[in-house]
Parts: sequence; structure tokens; C-alpha cells
Amino acid sequence: MTVRRSSVVLTATVALVAAAAASMALGAVHVPLANIWEALTGQAEEGPLRQIIVELRLPRTISALVVGAALGVAGALLQGSLANPLASPDVIGVTGGAGFGAMLTLLAFPSAIALLPVGALVFGITAAAIVFAIGWSGAHAGSIGRVILAGIAITALFGAATTSLMVAFSDRVQSAVFWLAGGLSSDGWSSLSVVWPYFLVGFLMAVFLARPLDRLALGDDVAASLGGRPRLVRLAAAAAAALLASSAAAIAGLLGFLGLVIPHLVRLAGGTASHRFVLPASALCGAALLVAADTLARVVLAPIELPVGPLMVVIGVPLFLWLLREAV
Amino acid sequence: MSEPRLVARDVHVKIGDTPILHGASMSVHAGELLAVVGPNGAGKSTFSRAVSGLQPMEQGDVCWGGIPLGELKGRKIARLRAFVPQRAPVPAGVTVREAVELGRSPHIKAFARPTRHDREAVEHALERTGTLEFAERRLTTLSGGELQRVQIAVGLAQEAPVLIADEPTSHLDLGATAIVARLLRRLADDGLSVILVVHDLALAAAIADTVVVMADGRTAATGKPDEVLTRERLSEVWRVDASLDERGALHVNWLGR
Amino acid sequence: MIRLVAAILLALLVYAAPAQAAPRVAALTPFSASTITRLGVRPVVVGQTLGGTDQYLASLRNVPVIPLSHPLGPNMEQLATYNASIVLSSKTWQRGTPAMRRLGMKVYESDPSSIAAVGHETRAIGKILGRTRAANALATKIENDVRAAQQGIKRRPRVLVILGVGRTPYAMLANSWGGDVVAKAGGQLLTQGLRAPSGIARISDEIVVQRNPDIIIAVPHGNPGAINRLAQYYRSNPNWRNTRAVKNNRVYVATGNQLLQPYPGVAATIRSVRAKFLKNY
Repeated sequence: MTVRRSSVVLTATVALVAAAAASMALGAVHVPLANIWEALTGQAEEGPLRQIIVELRLPRTISALVVGAALGVAGALLQGSLANPLASPDVIGVTGGAGFGAMLTLLAFPSAIALLPVGALVFGITAAAIVFAIGWSGAHAGSIGRVILAGIAITALFGAATTSLMVAFSDRVQSAVFWLAGGLSSDGWSSLSVVWPYFLVGFLMAVFLARPLDRLALGDDVAASLGGRPRLVRLAAAAAAALLASSAAAIAGLLGFLGLVIPHLVRLAGGTASHRFVLPASALCGAALLVAADTLARVVLAPIELPVGPLMVVIGVPLFLWLLREAV
Repeated sequence: MSEPRLVARDVHVKIGDTPILHGASMSVHAGELLAVVGPNGAGKSTFSRAVSGLQPMEQGDVCWGGIPLGELKGRKIARLRAFVPQRAPVPAGVTVREAVELGRSPHIKAFARPTRHDREAVEHALERTGTLEFAERRLTTLSGGELQRVQIAVGLAQEAPVLIADEPTSHLDLGATAIVARLLRRLADDGLSVILVVHDLALAAAIADTVVVMADGRTAATGKPDEVLTRERLSEVWRVDASLDERGALHVNWLGR
Repeated sequence: MIRLVAAILLALLVYAAPAQAAPRVAALTPFSASTITRLGVRPVVVGQTLGGTDQYLASLRNVPVIPLSHPLGPNMEQLATYNASIVLSSKTWQRGTPAMRRLGMKVYESDPSSIAAVGHETRAIGKILGRTRAANALATKIENDVRAAQQGIKRRPRVLVILGVGRTPYAMLANSWGGDVVAKAGGQLLTQGLRAPSGIARISDEIVVQRNPDIIIAVPHGNPGAINRLAQYYRSNPNWRNTRAVKNNRVYVATGNQLLQPYPGVAATIRSVRAKFLKNY
């Protein structure tokens, strides 16, 4: 068993390193490998090539890596805490809220474009907070059904608001479509420099939640019997997922598919649902898949960039279906 | 007799605005198998959950080894009692051994690895419940009886002196019920205190040292099975004409003729 | 001899100085490309929207082209290789502006949507290029030309300018480039009650029939391959058959980009609209 898990982690690590290398080496502009090395080690002289490597590709590769890892972990946290294989950041309202926040900036206040990541982040977290406030109050507070229903309602609400914005500003929708489709852009460290603390908090919470989440596997009663606090754990896991998914949306738009599929992929490949394996492995696989997909998106039709969201679905779905067939 | 491991007095519980328990009491000693019986809706499960700390109480005194329940949080209470729920979800991709290992979590510090004692406790729990032979199988491939024994193994791995099992046999066939009954009796004989919530009176009478009868959210009687489960009480609490004979068989006048 | 050498050196210096001062400019729109060309600066690269709808001056045919697509407009890596110090962008690609600035480029979003703005934008671009005097002269000339092109308007026909995005009609309002050009050429736009910050508003064929314009100017919008088919469609749009414009055979299709995008040569466009569509000389 442990051999199988180790080989999954090893494969994912190798894939991630390869994808990151490809992401640095490939792009719209050909940069010789020697120059890339010089640029990264600080030996290159000022010039467009160094600028491309250090100010465009490096931040983009790192962003893809962090966003991919965050979405993988967010999906694993939600599926684990809500005991629902369909759980993804959509379920707790993050996607709907972040989508609205981004559209509000892109469509209604295009001159404040620099606030796009902030808008997505703030509204993503706000939507999740509303879901939690409803889900963790009243009778059956913190029960899975209540949380999911609240999430669906809030998602619908923000979805309607987003659609209304798109109708009201239909002439600007074109510039927003790319964001909705999900994808990274070469705009340096700007987004990451705003949202990194949220990523950090989310990842740290995930580290501390692995064992408590495992205890939820046999149900709330067993978790309580083992001295855990299942509702609190669920709230903390959902909050961490909300932070990670909102931050990811702030940088790369809506890439919900990644959060849904990666944890399944990891569980199927590793043959276990233990969060001490699923959480880190989801981070690795999510990062590897997004970095690889983003590289493809930049290279296939270069210099035009394809939106990563649909491309990743095209790559990810066959892989996922194959694993689903292989799984017992 | 030794100090009781659990004393619960005058427990009241409300769920929402509905009072479920109003005045339930019990106490359990080392090596004692205590059966909580009563009609559906009498509050048996709620009572067992309340004393375990899984269900908040309106009022009442519950002490574990002399310490009030309110002072026992998290790992502390988990080391004093294990609760085996009526029907736990069966997660995909989890093996029997992994499930039982979860039972050790109150003893393992955050980020620490399981010690040799932890591994031995898991092994011992698997052995005692007869689940060792399928320890590497996934939970999803097990029968109802096997699953129930795994649930008990999780509780045993906790190494708490009191095991509370909520209706462990209610979904099982006769053979599987007998295996679980023998297992629980053996555990009590080995010194564990077992609180068994059960609606099968014949089973309770056969294996329990003490029976607590619940009716309408109250404990109606406590004592040895043959003293408590009298014809009059069965008639009064369950509203049937029935009796237990000396061999522990339950005779019921089903049609009331 | 010494005098000759000195003269040659002086000539070289005079010649070299402005060449050195010429900034490297990436012009992402036809308007900014034309404007800086007229100011004597050749762009190092020009932009082209996906689908290739932007039309540039013939003299810029050899300038490299970078495709523009969302989210940022140009591919930043590609833009960086041209080492431009100034980017003349537009509001459409404003998401890319911060990224370009971080790469050390000076960015100006120039997007005149009215004729009045052309002069102002020309002066602004001149200032950025350090060619203020030339830009002032050019702007004044454009303004004078526009005024001259508006002389002697004899009739003010009632007009609808329809932007056809595929087969979906939008009305070009007075605050759109095309609407402004037609209005300045003497057309009365039948767009009362329609308002949109973008200058184009969805209009139904029912409204077109009800407002019953004397003239319909259809401006099909799409990739070059589809334009001819769209032009054919709008020329004989059966939904409009009860309008005065169709009955009098006065539905025109403008297939160039002159009514879609701002150009410094707008005076010529006004004259052409008057001559070909409004016939009000």
C-alpha cells in the first residue's frame, strides 16, 4: 500500500518538475536554455530576454503552481469535510461569489482593473461566509445537507447577479469571458503579491486539518467518540477551502474542474482516502496539472493564449475517466 | 463493589423545543454489561449519547471516574469512553485496518507517528473482534455483521474502560447478532464496562448483568434482568402480554387472544 | 578640406540626432499607428485583433504585427522582445496596462470615440512622443479639414446606422465613432431614447421599421471572410422591406473600417459618407 502511495507522490513530483521546467522553457518567444539559466541565477544582463524569463515566465509558473496546489487542496478539504464526492469550491459559494466580484470590477468598474484580484477574493470569501453563517446556525447546524443547500442557494444568487451584470454591460463581456473560462496571465507578481497571505493561511490550516478530517471518515459520531469536534472541523476545513479557492480565483479565474477532479484522481491512484496522503498529493497533482496545462495553453497557438480552463478539462477528463474505469 | 466508572443522574435533554429525556439515571462498574432497553422513542439512544458527551444536556449530573462530564473535553473524554454508533457511514477507499487505526487518534499527538503500543493496540482490537483475517479489505466489501465488528474494533482501539454501543445488532441476522453478543459479553468478562443500547429483550436478558428500562424519557427500572423484565413491567412499558422464562426465551402473546 | 569634414560631421549629427531620439513605439490600434506615422515615427510593431479586422495604412505593411487577444491584449513575452518604450494601447486592452507598465513601458490608452476627441488624442500622443509641435499642427489641420468637410450640407436625412454583429443588429448612437461621423456629415440619427456608455445599443428590426429611416447604413462587423456574406444579408434584409430606405433603395453597406474605428483621416470619411450615403452636397 505504502509503495503505491509513494509511487503516486513520486510520479506527481516528477511531473511537476517537468511541467515547471517546460513552463520556464517554452512560450511565445524562444529563449535558449542557457539564457534561461543565466536569467534565473542572476547572471544575465538586462534585456528583453532576461525580462521575459524573470518578470513574465517565472511569476506565471509560480502562480500556476500555487493556484493548482490550492485548488487541489481546496477540493480535497471540501470532499473530505462534506463527505460528498461532488463537493468543489462551487458548493460553498466561492465560485459564485468570486465570479461576481471579478465581473463587478471587469464590467462595472473597468478603470479599477487593478482591484480585480481583490474583488474576486473579497466576494469569494463573503459568499462562503454567508453560506457558513446559514449552514452553521439553526436546527441541524453544521450538518452536511444544510451546508450544501445553503451553498447552492448562495451560488445561484451570485450567479444571477453576475448574469445581470453581463447583460447590463454586454459590450464589455468579451474581456470578461477569458476570466470566466479561467486562465493565468503574464502580469508579473501583482496578483500573487496581493493574495499570498490568504494562500499561506489556507495551506497551513490544511496541514493541521489532515488528521481531524480523517476522523470524520467514519461519521460524526465516531469523530466525536474519538474526542474530535466534527462540526468545528468541517467549518475550519470549509473556511480553509474558501480561502484557497478565492485566492486561486483572484489569480486565475474560475477553474472549478481542477478542485473537483484532482482529489478523486489522487484517491483512485493512491488507493486510499487518508487525508494525510490525499491533501499533499492533491497539492502536487493540482500544481503539476495546472502548470502543464498553462504551458500548453501558451504554446499551442502561440502567441495567442488559450484559456486554461477548457484546455485543462480536455486533458483532465480522459485521464479521469481512464482511472475511473481502472478503479475497482 | 468498586467505584462506578460512570454515574449519570437525572439527565434532561431537549432536541429543539421537544423534551426527549426528563430524568434518566444509570451507573456502570468495571466488568459490568449494562443493557439499556425500552420501547422506540423512549430515549435510549439519546441517553447513551448524552452521557457520552455527544448530545448537550439541559440538566443532570454525569461523572466519569468522578470527574464531571463538563470538564472532560476532546482527548480526555475519548480516553474514558468509546462510543460505537448505530449506523456509521461506510467511506470508500478505507481498509479495515485504517479504520481501526483511527481509534488510536486520541492517543497520538498532532504530527506524531504511531508508537509500537499504538500498533499493538490496533492489532489487539482486530484480534478480539475477529476482524484480523480481513484487516486489509476495504470497508465497502464487508457484510453488515463484519462492519459492526469493525465499528466495535474502532472503539476497542481507543482503549477506553467503557464501551458504549448503540443498537449494534439491530440490522444483523441471527448469526451475526450472536457473534456480536458473545463478543460484548467476552469484553465485559475481560473487565471492560459495556453499555449496550438494545431493543431485543431476549438478547438483553441473556447477556446483561444489569438492565435499565427506559420509558417516556425516564428510567423506569434498573436491576438484574429477571428482576426488572417482569411480566407486569413488559405489560406496563411495552403494552404487550409477554414474559421471559428461566432459559431467557421471550414468550409473546402476539395476537392478544 | 577641414570645412568639408566639419560640414559632413555636422550634417551627420543633425541627421543622427532625431533618429536617436525617435522612441520605440508599439502602436496597438490603427488610429495610434496612423497618428504616429503622420508625426514621423514609425511603429516598431502594430497590433491586430484576432480575426484580423484592423486595417492599417499601406505604408505600414512591413511593420511586424502582434495579435491581440484577451485577457491582456498582446502576448507580453512577444511585446517584450520588441523592446518598446512606449505602448499606445486602448481601453479594450486595459487589463494589460499594469503588466506593460511593470515591464517598464510607458502606456497610453488612446481610443477616441468621437471626432472631437481626435484632435485631443493627437496632441496627447504627440506629447508622449515628445513631438508636441508637430502634433499640434497635425491636430489643427485635422480640425480644419473636418470643418471644411462639413461645409454646405444641403439636406439632413433621417438615418439609422446599424452595426451588424453577425446577424444581430445594434444601433450606433451619437456617442459611437460611426454615429458621430454620420451625424457630423449631416445625418439625423434616429436613436432618440437609446443610450449606452459604449455607444452601441441593441435594436430590434421592429424599431427599425417603426422609426422608418430615409437611409440605413449597415456596418457589418466580423472577420474578413464573413463580411461579404453579412453585407449581402443586410443589403436585402427582408425585415426592413417596409422602410422608406428600402423602398427608395437607400440601404448602404459600409464594409471598410472607417465607421468602426477612429482614423486621423476622418475628414475624408465625412466627405465620403456625404457623397456616397447621404448625398447632401
